[in-house]
Amino acid sequence: MIELTRLNNSKLVINAELIETIESTPDTVVTLTTNHRLVVKEDVEEVVEKVINYKRKIAFRPE
Amino acid sequence: MDLASIVGLVLATMLVLAGMFQQGNLMMFFDPASILIVFGGTLGGIILSYSFKQLKNAMVSMKIAFSGQSNEAGDIISILVSFAEKARREGLLALEEEVYELDDDFLKKGVQLIVDGTDPQLVKSIMETELNFIEERHSVNKGVFDTGAELSPAFGMIGTLIGLIGMLAGLDDPSSLGAGMSVALITTLYGSLMANVFFIPIGAKLKVKSKQEILSKEVMIEGILSIQAGENPRIVEEKLKAFLSPSSRSGLNSENEGGGMNAAG
Repeated sequence: MIELTRLNNSKLVINAELIETIESTPDTVVTLTTNHRLVVKEDVEEVVEKVINYKRKIAFRPE
Repeated sequence: MDLASIVGLVLATMLVLAGMFQQGNLMMFFDPASILIVFGGTLGGIILSYSFKQLKNAMVSMKIAFSGQSNEAGDIISILVSFAEKARREGLLALEEEVYELDDDFLKKGVQLIVDGTDPQLVKSIMETELNFIEERHSVNKGVFDTGAELSPAFGMIGTLIGLIGMLAGLDDPSSLGAGMSVALITTLYGSLMANVFFIPIGAKLKVKSKQEILSKEVMIEGILSIQAGENPRIVEEKLKAFLSPSSRSGLNSENEGGGMNAAG
């Protein structure tokens, strides 16, 4: 699960496992496998970073 | 101004009057009692059928039938493509300043929604609901004129019956038969004229205008959702052009832009 910010600054947590594509258009559009589209403030690298951190947290016990 | 509405109405009135004039004296087609029966009856019937608020809207819509309010889908597409380009260059939030320059409330609302970061599904459902109710209101406005088109010939018939009853009651004077008969038939004439010169054509015109407006609003919904999804302006244009007939597609050309950066996670 990763926390993202909508354009109107409201926060939401999405299931990172369901992310299909992340595009910069230049707004970041996250498309989920459920065909749900979200426009978020974080840029593409930031979202990818968050996903990696989340996966790392799951795989290894955090120090 | 919608020239076709005005030319049509004037042409119909003039030519029918010219035809009447051929019959001799125009004054023989004028009968106050008949006007009372047909106009009064039709007006009363329409008022009985609808609420005053709906009637007021129908009056306003009559203005629309005669005004040349252009709801050209082509112009809407140009606006949307320019928005798509701007969103591609500077992001969705840059569209906020464009909102104030729009004079179409529907488009304004849509752009405002995507700028506020509303979810695409929600934007779609809000816009479609609004469109459905616009359609609903249009059909009520057209219905007022359809009711008029149904009622006016019927009241013409009623007037004729009234005239015939009066004529038959005075049958002991055979010399007045012809005159009574002609007065009796005037109401049918008035009723048919009202229906065919005014109510039916206006209703038809409103239907056409309503179709145009709904098409352009459908184009807006599709365009707004495409812009929000960050689609390439070129693609947005092609997508929206699909709504138009091939003849109205020409003259729509815009700059091609490169695609964005993709990353799959």
